[in-house]
Amino acid sequence: MDRRTTLATLLGQKTETAAPPVVTSGLTPYTGSFEFQQASHLLRRTTFGPNYEMIKKAVNAGLDATLAELLADNPLPEPPLNYDFEEDPLVPVGETWVNATYPTGSLKSMVRNYRSRSLRAWTFKQMIEEGTSIRETMTLFWHNHYVTGDINDPNFEYRYITLLRENALGNFRELTKKVTIDPAMLRYLNGNQNIAAAPNENYARELLELFTIGKGPLVGPGDYTNYTEQDVIQMARVLTGWRDRGYNSSNPDQPVDVEFRYNQHDQLPKLLSPRFDNAIINDMADQEYAYLVDLIFTKNECARFISRKLYRWFVYYVIDDNVEQNVIEPLAQIIVDNDYEIKPALDALLRSEHFFDMLSMGPMIKHPIDFMISALRNTNFSLSQFNLDQEYTILWNIFRLNSEGMQMVYFTPPSVAGWKAWYQEPSFYRTWINSATLNVRQNYTARIANSGYTGAGGVAKLDVLTFVASLDDPFDPNNLISEIASILFPQPISQAQKDALKGVLIPGLPDFEWTVEYSDYVNNPGDPNLEAAVEDKLRNLLTAMLSMPEFYLS
Amino acid sequence: MKRRKFLQTTGLSLPFMLNGFRIGAMPMSSLFSSLNVDNDRVLVLINLIGGNDGLNTIIPLDQYDKLANARGNILLPESQLLGVGFDNALHPSMTDLKGLFDNGKMTVVQSVGYPNQNRSHFRSSDIWSTGSPANEVWTSGWLGRYLDQEAPGYPTGYPNSEYPDPFAITIGSLVSETCQGTVTNFSLAINDPFNLNPLADPVNEPVPDTPYGDELSFLRTSIAQTNLYSESIEDAANAGANVVSYPEDFALGRALKNVALMISGGLQTKVYVVSIGGFDTHANQVDQDDPTVGNHANLLSQLSQAVAAFQLDLQAQGLDERVLTMTFSEFGRRIRSNESFGTDHGDAAPMMLFGSCVAPGFIGNNPEIPDEPEVQEALPMQYDFRNVYGSLLQDWFQIAEEDVRQILYAGYQHIPIIQGCETINSTSETAVPIEITAAPNPFVNQLRVSFACGNERVRLSVYNSIGHEMAVAFDKNLPAGEHQATIEAHGWPAGHYYLHLQLEKGRQKTQLLVKSR
Repeated sequence: MDRRTTLATLLGQKTETAAPPVVTSGLTPYTGSFEFQQASHLLRRTTFGPNYEMIKKAVNAGLDATLAELLADNPLPEPPLNYDFEEDPLVPVGETWVNATYPTGSLKSMVRNYRSRSLRAWTFKQMIEEGTSIRETMTLFWHNHYVTGDINDPNFEYRYITLLRENALGNFRELTKKVTIDPAMLRYLNGNQNIAAAPNENYARELLELFTIGKGPLVGPGDYTNYTEQDVIQMARVLTGWRDRGYNSSNPDQPVDVEFRYNQHDQLPKLLSPRFDNAIINDMADQEYAYLVDLIFTKNECARFISRKLYRWFVYYVIDDNVEQNVIEPLAQIIVDNDYEIKPALDALLRSEHFFDMLSMGPMIKHPIDFMISALRNTNFSLSQFNLDQEYTILWNIFRLNSEGMQMVYFTPPSVAGWKAWYQEPSFYRTWINSATLNVRQNYTARIANSGYTGAGGVAKLDVLTFVASLDDPFDPNNLISEIASILFPQPISQAQKDALKGVLIPGLPDFEWTVEYSDYVNNPGDPNLEAAVEDKLRNLLTAMLSMPEFYLS
Repeated sequence: MKRRKFLQTTGLSLPFMLNGFRIGAMPMSSLFSSLNVDNDRVLVLINLIGGNDGLNTIIPLDQYDKLANARGNILLPESQLLGVGFDNALHPSMTDLKGLFDNGKMTVVQSVGYPNQNRSHFRSSDIWSTGSPANEVWTSGWLGRYLDQEAPGYPTGYPNSEYPDPFAITIGSLVSETCQGTVTNFSLAINDPFNLNPLADPVNEPVPDTPYGDELSFLRTSIAQTNLYSESIEDAANAGANVVSYPEDFALGRALKNVALMISGGLQTKVYVVSIGGFDTHANQVDQDDPTVGNHANLLSQLSQAVAAFQLDLQAQGLDERVLTMTFSEFGRRIRSNESFGTDHGDAAPMMLFGSCVAPGFIGNNPEIPDEPEVQEALPMQYDFRNVYGSLLQDWFQIAEEDVRQILYAGYQHIPIIQGCETINSTSETAVPIEITAAPNPFVNQLRVSFACGNERVRLSVYNSIGHEMAVAFDKNLPAGEHQATIEAHGWPAGHYYLHLQLEKGRQKTQLLVKSR
């Protein structure tokens, strides 16, 4: 080893520490068997966790039909409601607030607060209740891509997230145009302060660095390979003149909107760098931003950039030469060939040999929202037993008590680059895990499995009896544990682990004792003693299984 | 001794490291020649997240008129500035820091940055965390590489009896990239040192040699280490004290309070990282009506109050000579302000260091503000940030200069930031190890100590966990050779103590545990 190599290693420029087998498969369609493990892998990565029935249905339907269902266009969900705030003069309880402005005076902040709680609870409801569809996952993907945060007006937030949800499976380029003049984005990245007399380059910079083409290596002064500082400055001028309207508005004639003020738009020509072929953009008033986005997307690097982000979202964080060559490059080509439509790329990625490679199964550390929601969805948790107030309050409490501690707050990414798990080298997904967040995760699963989360008189905890009744063979403790493991964990667990879990379920007892107890309970419906005995044992088992690091993986 | 043990460990259970520098071409002697692993010094980093506007923090008074021209809408009135040094001033909200400065507990290194400044938050944060050149992507942190030397093979085999405590602690829920080592991150993230609940211990089955197995063993190790380190942190928190009041209505005050508590409680952690966000002041950096108040003023006020309380607490407990505190931020901001009463991403900015062992005052010249700065123009770099880092490694952690070059860059140049506090120039230190044994340990009443020295002055003493000297066995010239001493612990409360052996060639420190009778 020469000195240079040695130094490079010392400096951590190479990650030759752990060297597990390399995945060499690519985007070729997968033609192997589509059994329980493949189906659950697909559903685990595309939804916020499948239950037993969804997995079995997918196995029966096969890969093509399951993918078609996952990628289908569905109508938008019903909007979030006023669930408990009786003093809102504009929106009665039970009605939606999304088209309403705010009352004046001291009520305003209280109204804003309940709507903010409502939106967050409702967002969790969408993820919990969504069936076999990729849309909620893609909505969060775009939220992490086109980041906004700290908006402090739920009407703005709703408009923004609805834009992402509506276009979750749409066209990358067209969505970029819409996001560019979205009111929340204009506020978040100071587009609303970007005027001809004083350009603010915040949005223009992130548009290039984070939203479209990405930043390449610094190869010259201000030259990031794909664009230059000159482009940032010139593009900021292109984007001058846009303003959001109706922020925290109490004027019913001024709802959330955007407007273009031509007199604040820089009407002089803008000259881009050689990275954009020295293009000159002449004044096109309120169409200029769209022209600019089209121009950026003439560079195929945009397709590579989004392909890598999709890869890290759906597959794994390591992008080595093989992945670059056999997955990213063909995926980018599909995106270019389809004029930046996202759906064909998702279809190709999610039906690929690479996606179903055994080595692709299980190494993704679930992000906190996936972790929280999948614990509920995997075990058939249902919100249907609750009234409106209970449902929203419970979901708000789950959101409020866990998001910050687990380091992932929907609507509040930590920075414009999104959550670190998807970009921070070399840790990536591992950034979710540390001594502080581990505690919050374990407290959460212990709580949903046992005492539950309360709200407005309702108690939400796992319905372990219904869950277990949905399994094929809950009577045999070995089959019971294996079946739950196959739903919760991405790869089989060892016999020693199963034995340890059986020690939690029926400590020190032979197998048949479970069969006897469980049969007694099934054969004597309504007997509270038998039910409690079985339920307690199952809560212990679920607590233990949800605390296993295997459950943290997808 | 340690080196041999590490070689065995590495050879047996970490074969992948054979490709690394440790056993490969790098001669051991050069890498570890003067590493002082028993140095009990602590470095506290305060990350000012977002890019701090240095020109609104430390104001060069000789440039005031030019600043008035370039950033008139945000400029602080000259009459309200807190003068420090000859021709500088602090932001008026930093009254407590002015107190520190006037007492010789603060150093400002002017215009720190790096060549080819990158103005992306993320890229520049990475550069500051890793210590890489602007045009190279490195994946380990600058302190992670230092700690890699202290704890080879980490996390395998840690914690252990020799290193029972975490090497680094981040206050908050994220570990710091500065502490990313070759294999894993050295820092433990904690919010509340009194509330670290044990996690369910996983069943430890072998994992497959796949990405899945890799991530699974990462999770298991994280859980196991969290549990093991939680005990020592809680012990330290319970044993430690704060003797001054802190501002607790904001996170930085609470964070530094906890750091002082853990240091006071005897935790052997070398690095603490705390952070305060909100410095990305593109808009409304100052109030439109009064530039002395607003977002930036609030942040600087928090920094000032928290750091001052921390320093006074350490001084009151006699711990101040063990602790050095330093701020860092991904970049400074532009010279010209914008129309939104804010400033955009810039280049170099001052770094602030606090403690009883800093060379007080200003290092470097005041930045020069052009008559008519361009819109894009920011302050050019005067000092490379890696020279600041390297000087701390060399003078504070006593890493040999050649190793500092390895950890940072070949062009490293020393800056005299540290002064006093028995600072030994690392390069002049001899490589002869100091041998000392103390038994039994833990002990109840009597501890027998044996050590070797040359014909030299020897001081052998015991300190308690808050730095109070409990007993002195020797403080005199001894002839060369083996010597013994007995330490009596009558009446000492149970807990951690430290045996110090001070020789002319250096100091050796051993942790002791006194058990209750």
